[in-house]
Amino acid sequence: MLYVVLFFLLFSLLLYVLLGGADFGAGIVELFSSPRNKRTTRDTIYRVMGPVWEANHIWLIILLVILWVAFPAYFNVIVIYLHVPFVLVLLGITMRGVAFIFRHYDAIVDESQVWYNWMFRISSLITPVFLGMSFGALIGGKIILAEDFSSYSFYDLYMLPWFNVFTLLVGLFYAALCAFLASTLLIGETEGEVRKIFSRKSAYFTIALVLLGFILIIYGYVQEVLFIQDFIHNPVSLGAVGMSALLLIPLWRAIKRQNRIASRYLAGLQVVFVLFAALYAHFPYIIITAGKELSLLEGLPPHSVIQNLGVMLLIGGGVILPGLFHLMKSFGMIKIFRTGEDEVGQ
Amino acid sequence: MENLDFARLQMAFTLGFHIIFACIGMVMPFFMVVSHKKWLNTRNPLYLELTKAWQKGVAIFFVTGAVSGTALSFELGMLWPEFMKHAGPIIGMPFSLEGAAFFVEAIALGFYLYGWNKLPEKFHWFTGIIIGISGVASGILVVSANGWMNAPTGFDYVNGEYINIDPVQALLNPAWFTQALHMTLAAFVATSFAVAGVHAFQVYRNKRPELHKKAFKIAVVFGAVAAFLQPLSGDLSAKDIAERQPVKLAAMEAHYETDTNVPLYIGGIVDEEQQTVSHKIEIPGALSFLAFGDFDAEVVGLKDFPEDELPPVAVVHYAFQVMVGIGTLLMIAGLLYFISLKYKSLLKRKWYWLLFVFLAPLGFIAVEAGWVVTEVGRQPWVIYGFMKTSEAVTPMPGMEFSFYMYVVVYLVLALTVTWLMRRQIKVLNAVKD
Repeated sequence: MLYVVLFFLLFSLLLYVLLGGADFGAGIVELFSSPRNKRTTRDTIYRVMGPVWEANHIWLIILLVILWVAFPAYFNVIVIYLHVPFVLVLLGITMRGVAFIFRHYDAIVDESQVWYNWMFRISSLITPVFLGMSFGALIGGKIILAEDFSSYSFYDLYMLPWFNVFTLLVGLFYAALCAFLASTLLIGETEGEVRKIFSRKSAYFTIALVLLGFILIIYGYVQEVLFIQDFIHNPVSLGAVGMSALLLIPLWRAIKRQNRIASRYLAGLQVVFVLFAALYAHFPYIIITAGKELSLLEGLPPHSVIQNLGVMLLIGGGVILPGLFHLMKSFGMIKIFRTGEDEVGQ
Repeated sequence: MENLDFARLQMAFTLGFHIIFACIGMVMPFFMVVSHKKWLNTRNPLYLELTKAWQKGVAIFFVTGAVSGTALSFELGMLWPEFMKHAGPIIGMPFSLEGAAFFVEAIALGFYLYGWNKLPEKFHWFTGIIIGISGVASGILVVSANGWMNAPTGFDYVNGEYINIDPVQALLNPAWFTQALHMTLAAFVATSFAVAGVHAFQVYRNKRPELHKKAFKIAVVFGAVAAFLQPLSGDLSAKDIAERQPVKLAAMEAHYETDTNVPLYIGGIVDEEQQTVSHKIEIPGALSFLAFGDFDAEVVGLKDFPEDELPPVAVVHYAFQVMVGIGTLLMIAGLLYFISLKYKSLLKRKWYWLLFVFLAPLGFIAVEAGWVVTEVGRQPWVIYGFMKTSEAVTPMPGMEFSFYMYVVVYLVLALTVTWLMRRQIKVLNAVKD
């Protein structure tokens, strides 16, 4: 059952990175669109993301619940030492969620739309950056596990681990990944002129992503970040990154040939490789502190808890996944439903 | 004030905010599907218009509830890391089920909102039903987790360790049923009277009265029925608390001296220093009867509990009075509605509509007061009898800044949502019949 729980943990992490990421990315793409194209991007996002975006973000809650139920010792470290970036992430999620719903559901369309739009775009960028920074803090090796909290300064305990160049690079890398995912997804949802815009966007963000990835690895190597060093010396992780880079070639072909489904799966597969590469070298030691490496599997709760959670997840998954699949199928993957005006959005 | 106080204030504030949105997001789908059903049955376009207006409300409240709920699931750990470290595995079951229910709700909402003219009519309507059912299920499960904090079961506590964990027993803790029943009914009462009040105001202003009367009727029926059931559920809760958390009961009633044939205090000003209550109305023997079903039963007073295990008595007592007072008032209002079904001339009176306008916010005040009773009444414990709130709090200093930030953000959010609702109604009223 532990494997079922671990599977769901990694599965919801992956889906949050992928689906939630594409969702954040859509806002980033809009942010970096020219004023002329912003309107088009906005409408495309609403059409494509509207029905599924709420479901996309619930993966985060599932992830959190699995963490606190099955890996309480691990969760404990995260919530104490990453308090500050989490507050920022939450602010971003709140602002973004309400801005999205306000701009599409406000009964009167007037200049307040300008506010909603900018709130949506900016929070779409900063939320994944802070999420990435939080993850960067976990692997950055700067967390001090304190016995006596009063003997350290606030800055050393609660700021330094997440507020540094390395974590910022991780954050920017994740944001670029989101934008890459979203622009690739949006290419397949549009036609003609608009399609060209998203193709160009997708090219830019791919370049940004690859560049940031290189800078991140080089910086981490020079600064002797343990996670990056182990990553480089691990053939499997390097291989996965290599695979991900190689996939760029068929991806671009698929985009050129207007193969929407293939390009989407290829982009998704690339993220799977990147995530796998990131986690593999260190699994299950996903917290690297200044002193030691903490295992996810340390301080597990009793067998009965894992057993129960595993069963719940299997039942929940059995209910949710077909429904989710049907939802995505109805609104995302198949185009026959998309005739006529959206009643709600008017 | 210390770090602990600010952490508690932040928790109270964010929860208090979330509860309102969660209640509305939980109950409004029911109004929506009733109106939708009436549209399908009668093909009266007013019902279609109303359904679409309400679904926008549902969407706005669902998202606000979802993001504030996400914030809360983080906050549980961020504010109370020691609590979650030990309690997380024990109460994992309601939370994981709640996650599933919430997910189902989001999926159903996606279908419902975007499914007009695209899905088969019956199936589309049915997805609305799923929104309502999964919303109520989420609510019940979360309250069950809270019930565990009041009635911790499903583990053995040995040398500071929580062992032999039984998640099912923790889910079905002795408090879960009474609390979940009370909260679900409260959500219906509060939301129904709030929505009814909003529409009553439009009728009062004579803005599209035909449409708003239909809306009023759908909402107020739910509220009136729930308001009549609520005292029964309250009685179950009181008896349960009397047995398991006698100190909370004593605080609710500001009952200091252990005695038999104890009177029930209505109102009164509590002096925590002198341990007395002045200016109260007494109903002889009523507390003994309500708590134990026997006028001569003994009720233990606050003076017989250890001093460091007493909750803030005055706050709990006042909150309890507010809750019960409003509950009674809304029950009478429900009665008035049923009377107006027979004596239709009432519906022509301006004061009738104005009355429901004034009642609109009261249900939510009662909901908040009820949570103050159960949460403040459990203090100083976070896990009743096992862990104190002060042991659970985060070691991170500076909680006051976090608290002020949340207050500002959530107040802005609340004002914006209110403003958006006004705009929805404005647009609704602008349509010519």
